[in-house]
Amino acid sequence: MEKYRDYTAVDFLNDESFLRWISEPTQKENDFWNNFLKTHPYKKADIKEATLVFKLFYSRENKLALNEQYDLWKKIQDEAKNSKRTIFLKLAKYAAILILVFFSGAVTYYLYQNGGQQYQYELAETPQTTKDEAMIVLSDGSQISLEKQMSQISYSQNGQQLIVNNDTITQKTPTEGGLINKIIIPYGKKSMIMLSDGTKVWLNAGSQLIYPSVFSEKTRQVMLVGEAFFDVAKNTEKPFVVRTTDISIHVLGTRFDISAYPEDKLIQTVLVEGKVNLTYSGKGILNREYSVEMKPNQMVVVNKSTGESRSQTVDVSKFVSWKDGMLEFEKVDLVRALKQVERYYNVRIQLADPMIGSFKLSGKLDLKEEPEEVLNVIKLTVPIDWQKKSNGDFIIINK
Amino acid sequence: MYSVENKDDERLIWSRFLKGDNHVLSLIYLQHSNSLFDYGCRFTIDKELVKDCIQEVFCSLMRTRNNLSETDNVRLYLLKSLKRRIIRELKKTDHQPRLLNDQDYPFDLRWSESLDDQLSELDEEKRLRLADAMQSLTDRQKEAIYLRFNRGLEYEEISFLLNLNYQSSRALIHRAVEKLREIIRVPNKNFGQVLLAILCHSREHAF
Repeated sequence: MEKYRDYTAVDFLNDESFLRWISEPTQKENDFWNNFLKTHPYKKADIKEATLVFKLFYSRENKLALNEQYDLWKKIQDEAKNSKRTIFLKLAKYAAILILVFFSGAVTYYLYQNGGQQYQYELAETPQTTKDEAMIVLSDGSQISLEKQMSQISYSQNGQQLIVNNDTITQKTPTEGGLINKIIIPYGKKSMIMLSDGTKVWLNAGSQLIYPSVFSEKTRQVMLVGEAFFDVAKNTEKPFVVRTTDISIHVLGTRFDISAYPEDKLIQTVLVEGKVNLTYSGKGILNREYSVEMKPNQMVVVNKSTGESRSQTVDVSKFVSWKDGMLEFEKVDLVRALKQVERYYNVRIQLADPMIGSFKLSGKLDLKEEPEEVLNVIKLTVPIDWQKKSNGDFIIINK
Repeated sequence: MYSVENKDDERLIWSRFLKGDNHVLSLIYLQHSNSLFDYGCRFTIDKELVKDCIQEVFCSLMRTRNNLSETDNVRLYLLKSLKRRIIRELKKTDHQPRLLNDQDYPFDLRWSESLDDQLSELDEEKRLRLADAMQSLTDRQKEAIYLRFNRGLEYEEISFLLNLNYQSSRALIHRAVEKLREIIRVPNKNFGQVLLAILCHSREHAF
């Protein structure tokens, strides 16, 4: 710390640690530099100046969209496969890996930990709406289908056994680290899963969750596409982290709901109790990474395209009622409510006139009924009517 | 978030790749594809060309694996290889005479739009002077600045990419930094406030 005492703005801009701090700070750097500012208040002006020059020079970045990144990778793989220069055996192994990794059209992310321990996360670009089957994909690629409308899954503490709707399945876990499992819930289905640490996750229709069978890392990490309600088992030693494409949520033990469907422009997080930290790490430049501390009854909505977030106090029960088979709305745009009905029942609902979508809907819908019944209830509160087309799609018309 | 955290891991991945483990190539790809794409887009607005060149970079990486060594700096190797390919392509398609010289290719560097908003509170004259100073940078100066501040490269690495010696690349950046600093330095009440606002903004989002 002493060497920085006489640093000018230019010196700071030449210092690797300083540059890391103002571009991609780690906790260590934040601690160091915040402490430095506290103990050397007269350096504030120089640091401000250096930071501004950095900001002026830091240029807007072009980023590959997730699907572009994936497509490009596939092209590289294809070209590699076609190349006759590679020894055949090597190639065969390579192709096998490819099929496994990209089987579901997913981009694979790896997380390397010290000592070369390898974790593999698959982040699907979109939930597989074409497949109507709910399933768990084990790390060896084998699939367990979940036949029920609402499946119950729970993992034993050592992650070696999972109970799916009363059937017990055993998977061999390596001595170190867990296996990566994935659960896929198509539209029209739901599931509740208890992870090996006791955390309960309710997955809404059209969602996927990727998680290790045991949490052997410093943090308990899962990845989510779609919507889920989390009741996180308390463990102050190992924070629980939920990642989505654009945000991640850090918690110790709490209950909250995240809705991050790929087709939605907004990612919505609602906190029921406890405390969570929401970190945005998407596009946008100066604010390409920020975090918000959330309080109970708060909802934070992040706009995926601009990276902006806004928060408001809400009645949380309305946002988590889906897990009990109810949908509750308070002055929600009809189009958004219908979207949820679509996902829940796996049906298509069209609007005859886009203006209909902006009607505000309030009230409770019981999702145990048939979709027709649900639309009839909606009909009572907003001036619409519905018809069923020959292909089974619903069409909403003005009354 | 998905990146490889430290240099040891990076070396480990590289050495596994060199030993024939193709599985780790996706790691290298995921770690570097976005920064390669961004670097490439500085030379041309043709994004498809940039993507094609990135594809070639990785394919040639697999082909030339046996000629590479454990001590190679992966990121630098990829950046250099991409730049060479893009400039070669630009020369082929672009008939502008300025591209005949390897040092003459354009480089796009402008400050982010969100900063623009914040600077708009600044008085017109200062803003113009800052914009002016940015525009008066040479293309190579822009590239050096970009590599330093956006990509976080060290001076040795920058010199390698720009085919310059260590001193010259340092001087390129130093001159640009000084220029902006002079403008900022001039005491001005309004500006102080803006500066503070920008800082508060950036600190808020620090972690």
